[in-house]
Amino acid sequence: MRKLLVIIRREYLQRVRTKAFLFATLLMPLFVVFTAVAPALLFSIKSGGATRIAVVDETGQLYESVRDSILTSRGEDEEGKAKAQPQMPAGGMPGAQGSEAQMRQLGKAIGQKYEIEQVQTHGRPTEEIKRELNGRVKKNELDGYVILPANVLSPGGRAEYRARNLGDMIATSQIRHSLRRAVIEQRMRDAQIDPRRVRDLSKEIEMDALPAKEGGEKDTGQSFGLAMGVGLFIYMGILLYGQMIMSSVVEEKTTRISEVLFSSVKSFQLMAGKLVGISLVGMTQFAIWALAFLLLSVYGVAALASRGMKFALPGIPPVFFLYAFVFFVLGFFMYATIFMIVGSVVTTEKEAGQLAMPIIFLSVASVYMIFPVIRAPNSPLAFWVSISPFFSPVTMLVRIVTETPPLWQIALSVGIAVATILACTWVAARVYRVGMLMYGKTASIPEVLRWLRRA
Amino acid sequence: MKANTPALVLEGVSKSFDEFVAVRDLSLVVRPGTIYGLLGPNGAGKTTTIRMIVNIIAPDAGRVLLYGQPMGERLMDRIGYLPEERGLYKKMRIGEQLRFFGELKGLTPKQADERASGWLDRLKLSEWRAKKTDELSKGMQQKIQFITAVMHEPDLLILDEVFSGLDPVNAELMIEVLHELKAAGRTIILSTHQMEQAERLCDDICLINKSRKVLEGSLREVKSGAGRRAVALRAENANGVLEDRRLVAGVKNLGDYSEVVLAEGADEQEVLRRLVEGGAKVTRFESVEPSLHDIFIQKVSEG
Repeated sequence: MRKLLVIIRREYLQRVRTKAFLFATLLMPLFVVFTAVAPALLFSIKSGGATRIAVVDETGQLYESVRDSILTSRGEDEEGKAKAQPQMPAGGMPGAQGSEAQMRQLGKAIGQKYEIEQVQTHGRPTEEIKRELNGRVKKNELDGYVILPANVLSPGGRAEYRARNLGDMIATSQIRHSLRRAVIEQRMRDAQIDPRRVRDLSKEIEMDALPAKEGGEKDTGQSFGLAMGVGLFIYMGILLYGQMIMSSVVEEKTTRISEVLFSSVKSFQLMAGKLVGISLVGMTQFAIWALAFLLLSVYGVAALASRGMKFALPGIPPVFFLYAFVFFVLGFFMYATIFMIVGSVVTTEKEAGQLAMPIIFLSVASVYMIFPVIRAPNSPLAFWVSISPFFSPVTMLVRIVTETPPLWQIALSVGIAVATILACTWVAARVYRVGMLMYGKTASIPEVLRWLRRA
Repeated sequence: MKANTPALVLEGVSKSFDEFVAVRDLSLVVRPGTIYGLLGPNGAGKTTTIRMIVNIIAPDAGRVLLYGQPMGERLMDRIGYLPEERGLYKKMRIGEQLRFFGELKGLTPKQADERASGWLDRLKLSEWRAKKTDELSKGMQQKIQFITAVMHEPDLLILDEVFSGLDPVNAELMIEVLHELKAAGRTIILSTHQMEQAERLCDDICLINKSRKVLEGSLREVKSGAGRRAVALRAENANGVLEDRRLVAGVKNLGDYSEVVLAEGADEQEVLRRLVEGGAKVTRFESVEPSLHDIFIQKVSEG
């Protein structure tokens, strides 16, 4: 027993004290925050100031309203209407509506600026004007121009936007939206309809999505995000620490340390010490992250709120942390014992990596299962997946977050996981013992089966 | 423990892996306080034998007795083992590593640190204590590993190829240390290919070949029982006598001198007289015992 503790302590301290552990622990939350915030930050960096746009108005009616529309970027009210309309704008990708609305909002949020000028046609043909404007874009006097043909107000009319950089999706999207609105409003005025009245009448109504229980809080997609985040977190933890076990086993085998260890302790003690020690490393890291999350939710949200930023962290019931802990531990031991078997039959780190691929596929498959489970947490598929070994840690946790299943199902899932762990440990103990003393070549499956019978 | 109880007894020990027999019906006795040489070519079954002694694997048949008691988990701490293939944790500091291995052999952390200090001093490695294994040379790692095998003061010390990787200076230091351990009453089993070292150190030897014991006994007995006498000779004009098959079985030219193996029943004095009578100019004439090396090669090639 004392020797088991010695092994656990070594496995734990040797890992927790490394710089790699420190970096992973500190950088992981930063990384998550960064990936969430970075795209918006990077988009907002636009050098060169305002985007200069020239407008060629061949209708002679639209310039003012187009200019105002672009400059103010008003008209969020029409968004819902634009979404509801089946017709696609020129150049719009089908199904891209949602992301386009996001782009517009993003553009508004970061305060994209425009300078608009009108190009007098003086009856010149469009081709000539285009040539001239192309020249100005080339000389960097303009960033782009809009051509509103005379028939743009009739049904099926098309406008044209030409710019140096069509990759600036925010600008393109804002201009498209502004044009569309200006044209529609003009058509309404031509039909003697007051656009303001239409806007008021077609105002969207809000629908709050709430769980069907007393005093439920409004859910704005957090539970999906939470379930997804939790699933991915458990998956990452299992893979990270499972592979840590594998490389630890491979190290002891390739350096032949195992021979000395086996002459001092029973192989089972060594194996158990490794599993427990490394699982403690994982728990330490998770505890730090959980603490960071709590601090963030207490202080961070308050700080953000004081600056007028709304940022709702999903409310997590405390019992959930217990479940997360239990399923992380179960998942870790399930995968770690398998990684351990792999580590003990191979001869090099590289081979271990190859042989570990099926295990990694298995765990990735459990992540894909998150999607159907979130959509229907009580379907037969969700039930079977969440009690199946190797799938249960991720999927059962997702079910608990979305729509907590009956306790007997959770208990069944835990029971099956424990049984799987015991079986895997039984196999691993035998294979490990023999495998660690076999040098020279990676064992074949029939060989491994022979070891099992013999041990 | 009684003084005359053998340190280690193997009784009819066998071990096979599937169809391959690694050790066949091996019996041997190691006297306490001696250095015992376990010799044999590669693949003879030495490592398997040692693994059975240190309780890493169990024999299929036969018994292993350590100081009269059947070998088991309880007795593992009384053995120190330096495997042939050795390793240390690459990224771990030497001091921590020694404490870890010491604790695994039942020492308290404090004891382990004290013993480690003593041994690091003795092997001139003190300034490396805070370094990681990666930063040490092969020979240094070898000595560190040796410390892990001896620091818990085991009654029986099993050293597999302890000299490999050591330069001559360190090899001498190691021989010195082994003599000290022996003087302190420890029993040492030395498994090696290096016959010169075995010859200098061992009291008793056992030669294993093709999973069987082919020779056992004290170094003296083994040498005198080899039934082969030879003379180291340096002489001019000796050819006539050396071609006489009644006296000389064979001549091996060793550069500066020749090794003359005497024919059966031939007397070395007779050879010397014949050489002098024949007008040879003899500058060296010395009766030599067969070396362990010769015996090893002879026995292994016979088998």
